[in-house]
Amino acid sequence: METLDCLGKRCPLPVIELARKISREDIGYKINLLSDDPASAPDLVAWARMTGNSVLRLSQNSFEITKLAN
Amino acid sequence: MALPHVFEASWPDPTKLGADSKSAAILLNEAKETFAGHLKVRSDEISFLGEPSLGFHLGISGLISPDSRLVFSNIDRMEVFAVADFLSPKIPNHQIQVSQTGQADFQVLSPTDVAVLQLCNRETGTIWRQQTLNCEAIFVDATASGVRLPLPENWSTALWDSTSWAGPSGLGILAISKKAKWENPLPHLDNRANPGPTSLPLIVSSALAIDSWVADEKNLADKIGALNLEIRKFISENIPDSDLAPHGADHLISASFLYINAEQLVTVLADKGFAVDSGSACNATNMQPSHVLAALGLLTQGNIRLTIHHATTFEDVKTFLETLKATIEELRK
Repeated sequence: METLDCLGKRCPLPVIELARKISREDIGYKINLLSDDPASAPDLVAWARMTGNSVLRLSQNSFEITKLAN
Repeated sequence: MALPHVFEASWPDPTKLGADSKSAAILLNEAKETFAGHLKVRSDEISFLGEPSLGFHLGISGLISPDSRLVFSNIDRMEVFAVADFLSPKIPNHQIQVSQTGQADFQVLSPTDVAVLQLCNRETGTIWRQQTLNCEAIFVDATASGVRLPLPENWSTALWDSTSWAGPSGLGILAISKKAKWENPLPHLDNRANPGPTSLPLIVSSALAIDSWVADEKNLADKIGALNLEIRKFISENIPDSDLAPHGADHLISASFLYINAEQLVTVLADKGFAVDSGSACNATNMQPSHVLAALGLLTQGNIRLTIHHATTFEDVKTFLETLKATIEELRK
């Protein structure tokens, strides 16, 4: 699985970079997003709900994202 | 009464003898009666606070007994969390996780508990809809609801902020029910809630404000409701990737926009003449996202909070919405 390292980047950059990255990928694509921004946990969940994708929190700063929608 | 006259008439100490003091005492009593009438409490239950946030400590800690537990929700004000933390070495507490619609399930209450009840959330407008709370005592946070929502029947202490009826800032109103077992948690000499005195000009100005606010609200409530719907409809139809908090109080709207830096958004809107607040981390002094948005599962980035005032017009809203749409499109590029 690829990793997108957004450590040290502040909101809304991690979500912007994630959206940009997966827009070029196929449905079913998985990526591991690293982010230590305090807004990332709530915002990745909200982003997944709003865009129809999936997010799984692996640890404090690590999130597994699955692309489910274009 | 004109404001300069209020300052002139209200400098003497209302507790002293003498003609000037007597007229100041009359002003103070009239103001108390005005608030009592609108807030539906007794005038002798009212205390004025020069520091509205202090009312959270006075109102909550004053109700605590040694076998109490403090129960509050995760969308309560940060001041409530601070009081819970302050009391926690002696008093256990329980934080209720609200539902997606912002409702706290107070079924967890036991008869010796002290509950914190927020009538309306100032960020999202979420209104508390449950009817009865069974516990020892209830502190009611009415700082955002103002005169809009009634107190529950068995309230013990309640706090209002003068700004909620467009009164002056720096004035809180704490009501302590005659039925409540309340003890002043601060060092004190007598049974007053605050060491006092609170600025009489502020109190009188706020009493004038609440009178005119209530009179206006009768005529303008429908307009504010219509403006709320208009704003919601426009955002959901015309601005993609937006997240609106569910409709609660008509005068408050919280909207978040994906891929937007709230600090930039608020700054651009301010430059264009629109004052809006934000619950996003980048706009907060502690760099933390709003605990209320996070608790409700709402997007915290690109967040703005709108307050619709009595004076807000359909024209204002139309111009604002067009500006908002254009600004978001520009920032997303």
